[in-house]
Parts: sequence; structure tokens; C-alpha cells
Amino acid sequence: MSVIQELSRGKQAGAVRKKGDGRWALLFLAPWFVGLALITAGPMGASLYLSFTDYDLLSAPEWVGLENYTRMFDDPRFLQSLGVTFTYVFVSVPLQLAAALGLALLLDKGMRGLALYRSVYYLPSLLGGSVAIAILWRQIFGADGLVNQVLALFGIQGQGWVSHPDYALGTLMALNVWTFGAPMVIFLAGLRQIPQMYYEAAAIDGASRWRQFRSITVPLLTPIIFFNLVLQLIEAFQSFTRAFVVSGGNGGPSDSTLLYTLYLYLKGFGSLDMGYASAMAWFLLLIIGGMTVVNFLASKYWVFYDD
Amino acid sequence: MSTTGNPRPTRRGKRLAGSAAGIAAVALTLAACGGGDSGIGGGGDDAPAAAEECPCEIRFSWWGSDSRHESTQQIIEAFEAENPDITVVPDFTDWDGYWDKLATSVAAGDTPDVITQEERYISDYSTKNVLADLGTLDIDTSKVDDGVLAGGQIEGTQYGIPTGINAYALVADPELFADAGVDVPDDTTWTWEDYVTTANAVAKGAGDGVWGTQDYGFNEAGLNVMARQRGETLFTADGELGVSEETVADFFQVSLDLVEGGGQPDAARTVEYQAAGPEGGLLGTNKGAMGVWWTNQLGALSDSSGHELELLRLPGESEGERTGMYYKPAMFYSVSADTEYPESSAKFVDFLLNSEEAAKIMLTDRGLPANTDVREAILGDLSPTDQKVADFMADIEDEIVDNPAVPPHGSAELADIMERINTEVLFERITPEEAATQLIDEINAAIAN
Repeated sequence: MSVIQELSRGKQAGAVRKKGDGRWALLFLAPWFVGLALITAGPMGASLYLSFTDYDLLSAPEWVGLENYTRMFDDPRFLQSLGVTFTYVFVSVPLQLAAALGLALLLDKGMRGLALYRSVYYLPSLLGGSVAIAILWRQIFGADGLVNQVLALFGIQGQGWVSHPDYALGTLMALNVWTFGAPMVIFLAGLRQIPQMYYEAAAIDGASRWRQFRSITVPLLTPIIFFNLVLQLIEAFQSFTRAFVVSGGNGGPSDSTLLYTLYLYLKGFGSLDMGYASAMAWFLLLIIGGMTVVNFLASKYWVFYDD
Repeated sequence: MSTTGNPRPTRRGKRLAGSAAGIAAVALTLAACGGGDSGIGGGGDDAPAAAEECPCEIRFSWWGSDSRHESTQQIIEAFEAENPDITVVPDFTDWDGYWDKLATSVAAGDTPDVITQEERYISDYSTKNVLADLGTLDIDTSKVDDGVLAGGQIEGTQYGIPTGINAYALVADPELFADAGVDVPDDTTWTWEDYVTTANAVAKGAGDGVWGTQDYGFNEAGLNVMARQRGETLFTADGELGVSEETVADFFQVSLDLVEGGGQPDAARTVEYQAAGPEGGLLGTNKGAMGVWWTNQLGALSDSSGHELELLRLPGESEGERTGMYYKPAMFYSVSADTEYPESSAKFVDFLLNSEEAAKIMLTDRGLPANTDVREAILGDLSPTDQKVADFMADIEDEIVDNPAVPPHGSAELADIMERINTEVLFERITPEEAATQLIDEINAAIAN
């Protein structure tokens, strides 16, 4: 059914494996390994080293041990960026998944022109990370932007949403929710896999639509929900372009949109504090890694695999 | 966009961790090779080779808009026609990408031979020994005013030669003043209080959707002028912060008085107009009668507003103990300390600075030319707007007491700090007094290391 299911059943799968499969697997993995070794691993190793140095790009790095890591926790802007990022991730990802699931349920009815709708709703996922959309977002949520013009029709005086420290992060989260297309397509595929007979049986027993959704759809969809959750959380933690463009590159107004990666960039290239920025990158890896581990551990209690 | 205003990144998202790591890798190799490359003699500090091997190739880096790229290309062609054995390789980007690219090039040991520098960054680069002492090279600076030339000196060493000069001035739109029934103030006598009352009066007279002025608190240059009028300065010649909390608080108070009196838009709108650059700001969109800008931005402002804009002195020039306005070097020409071809590089800088031919192509694109002879020579070729800038600069020349010292190492962070704290003040999250304390603490932290 899904990658995760396969992974979680690794032991059983291993039993069926034939001798010699491993070599083929390695062959197919080779292009990825080459890329990893040449493009990712080297620079990652270098950045790990740099995270223990004081390095300003212009002169040679100087070993400072753990100083960059300890310094983070005395840095109010670092703590601010952590707060902003956690708010962004833990508010927008659940909303995004809810929107994706809701739309997928509607589209699953097998209506006419489904392919068209699916594409239309998927589009934002493709466009959402782009600079153009971020610029557009600025316009839409500007003081005299589309949102306020619509609000004005109802006699409501709107705010300058992107420029107000209380609302700017909200517009970024809205942008993230709007890009629900990718998880939606995965949900749609998952919904298609639920055998129709369950619903038929439930209908005969007189179960309401809501009851069917709660007792059949959700449990059978939990592996897909889990998969989307892990993926979207990781992606949300790494959001950069949106905040960079919407905030004009500095996380403003007054640091309200200072996402983690944006602060990392400002430290590395703005203040030329590349050692600190490298340490931040590694700390983010720890956060994301730790969160994913917790996610997998917790999945035992709520993810249901229908074998 | 601007060369000097308040440049802000607007483009270019990227995979952060990835690129940082990429640079890191390059940097490691660099660290391994140590500082000096081009191991010609092998000996530690032998003098630069007397005769260079030419034909040779030097690289010139600059930032800017398409029109600057085109004109610079023409200048390079003119130089190459005069010096057929030297090839100049152009290396240009927009402002946002320029400093990222330059820092990584330096880290990779691939520093451009001739580098365009800016006030906020030149200290960083010179203290890290990236830039050559231009005093040892053969560049004629006799036609550049001493005060202006000093703008490129750090602790007495000439690391950059100013390309041209700008001044931070008040730009006014007489048409909107007329619409509002308010007289354009006499800029030789007006005070900061007059500024507030004038802006408030214009906003009142002009009606809905038009304001008196655009907020000035995002740019530290305004603070510097106010400080200098009081006998203080933003940074002292020793690279210390030289402004008092009282002045900073007064500086922010002006903005609050303007918001309260209706002279400038509410906080959220102000942040938006600020982000929109000269073209999208209040003056550029005919929604405000005044704004504080660098003189080289007058062209962009006039073009987008369609009105005949005027340059005025900043308020308070006759109010305090001295005048505060000054000439700011628009950019600097610098030469890499490790260039293989210092003589050719110097020759090229000399051409950029002193050649009339180059100046006729460049006009005021890199500020009003620093070389005063060349400045005279191009006056006739200037557009009416540039002409206005030249006249204004000549008018204030005698009033200028001195030009500020190069800001210290770490001042590249200043723009961000100003912007953040000013936003907090505008949204009334902190008082001007709290802002003053915070600003001084943060700047001190930025320039400390």
C-alpha cells in the first residue's frame, strides 16, 4: 500500500527476499549514492567542522569548540526564530492536512471532470514555493490589497496583513495551507484503496456517513495521514523562500516572520558568521531528526495497518 | 535599485543549508592552501613584481541594474581599446546577490581583481586583508576632494576610492504641496518641528489617501545627520558608537509625532511603502509630498511620480550647533590584495576615476563623479534631474563641516537593526526611549566582534 507500510513490515519482507537481490538494489541505488557522496556528504562534513569554528568567509576558520552551540541559547533572535518556526509548523501543517483530506474526500466522489479539479488543486503545490507567488501574496494581503478590498465590500476595515507584526506570520501560514495539493493527491490515492465493500456493509447496518468516515475511512487512511504528516512537517521546518520574499528578506516586520532557515541565512551571509550558521544548520537537523523519531514512535499508537 | 539607499533583498530564494555547506567545502580547501596564492617568488613578503606579464586578464565586479551593466560594458570596451594588452572580465549581479557572491568568491580564493565596495562592507573586507592599500598603487587621486577621499580610508590607509558622491536629502513634490495649499518650506531655516507641522498640514490639506511624508526611520543616515547637528556622530573615527540615547529617542519621536498628526501613514502602510523602494513609495506613487532619499535616487523617484521633484536640505541644519548633512561616497573602487596584476588593476581604476571618456558614459550612475574635473566636464551631458542633483550638491558644499568616518567592522548589520527597531516603535511596541537603549545595545554588539 505504501512505502511506510513496507518499511514497517521490513522483517517479513526480508524473509521473502531472494539471494542476489541486494546487488541489484545497490545498482539501482548507485546514482543516488554518487550524488550523495559528491554533492551532499562532503559539504555536510565541512559544515559540521565549520560549526565548531569561528568563520567569517574572508579569513581562515578558527576552532572554538562548542561555543557556537552554546551561544545560540543566549541569542534572543535565535530563540525568536525557534518560536516563529514552531508556531508556523504546528499550526499550518495540521490545517494544511485537514484541507487536503477535506478536498480529497470531495473529489473522491468520482465526479465529472475529476482530472481537471485534481490538477487545479494540485497547482498551488507546484507554485507555492516560488518567488512569484510570494510576491503575489504580498500584494493580496497588502493594506490596499485584494483581501482588504473584499473586506471593504462588507464594510470591514482591514489591516495591512503582511506588514503588521501580529498578522504577518498568519499570511505565511495561509500560504502553506494553500499548497495542500501534494498531500491531497496522496490522500486521493489512499481513499481509492479502501475496499468499497466496507462501506456497503456499513450502509446495510445503517451507519451514517459520519460514522462511516470515522470508523472506516479514518482508520484505514492512518498510514497515509502519517506519511503526509512526516513529509509536510519536515518540509515546513525547512521553509525559506516564502518568508524571505514576503518579509523582504529580513524576517520583518520586527522579526515576526523570522523562520529558522531565514535567520540562518541572515547569520551566514548577512553577518558573515558562517560558523554560527553551520551550527544552526546542524541543530535544525537534530530538531527535525528528533521530531521524526518521535513521530515514528508515536505512530505505533494511532496508525493502523490493514494487512 | 539604489546604490546607497536601504538596499533590501527581494529575490532569490534558495536551499539554504545546501549552499552554506557548499561554501563550507570550498572554504576547507582554501584553509588548507593557506593565505597567499600565486606563488611566484615563494619568498614571504617580496615586493609586487615590477613588470607584469601582459597580455593579462583582470576581473571587475560590480552590482547594479541592467542599465549600469550596459554602460559599464561600454566603459570596459573603451578601456580595452586604450590598453589592448589588458582584458577586463565583467562580473556583475544585482545588489542582493552581490555580497553573497563576493564573500564566497573570496572564501574560494577567487577574489575579483577590481572590486566595487560599499561603506557598510569595506571595513569588514579591509580588516580581513582582502583589499590592497591603494596608496602603493599608481592611481591619480589629485582631482578628488580630500574630504571625499578620506571616506575610503581606514586608519589612514586608502582601501577604497570613492566612485562618486551622494547626499541624504529631503525630496519634495511641489505639486502636492500646491494641491494641499501649503508652501514648500524654506530649507535653509526649517527645524525638525517645522518638518512635522509641514507634513501634518499637507496631509490635512490634501485630503484622503495623500500623506505629508514617508517615514524616515528605516535608514541610519537620517539619525547620523540629526546626531551631527548636535555635535555627535553615529560612529566616531575610532569606530565607536558616538550617538547619545537622547538623540536616538528624539529621532524616533519625530516619526511618532508624524503618525499622530496624520502626516505619515499608519505603521502597517509605512512598512509596506518602505518595502516598495523609491518607485513604490509615497513620492513615487503621488501619495505623499515628502520623503528622505539619497540624491542619486531623484531620477527614479521623478520618473515614477511624473512630477518635477525638488531637493531640499534636511530639517534642522540651522537649528543645532552645526550642520549635519554630508557627502557620502556612493561606492568605492577597491583592488584585491592578492591580485596577480596590481598594475593593470590600478590602471583600470585610474581609468574609471579619471577618464572623461568613461565619465561621459557613466554620468551620475555611480554618484556625482568624485573627480571634480570630470564632474565639470559632464555637466552639459546630464539630464535635467541629474543637473538638479549636481546643483544641489554644489549648493551644500560650503555648508558641509566634514564627512563621517568609514563605519566600523560589523556595520553591515545596521540596516537590519534600524529596520527592526523602527518597526517596533511604529507599532508602539516599545517607546522611543526603550528603542534608543535597544538600538545602542544592538549596534554595540554588532561592532564588538
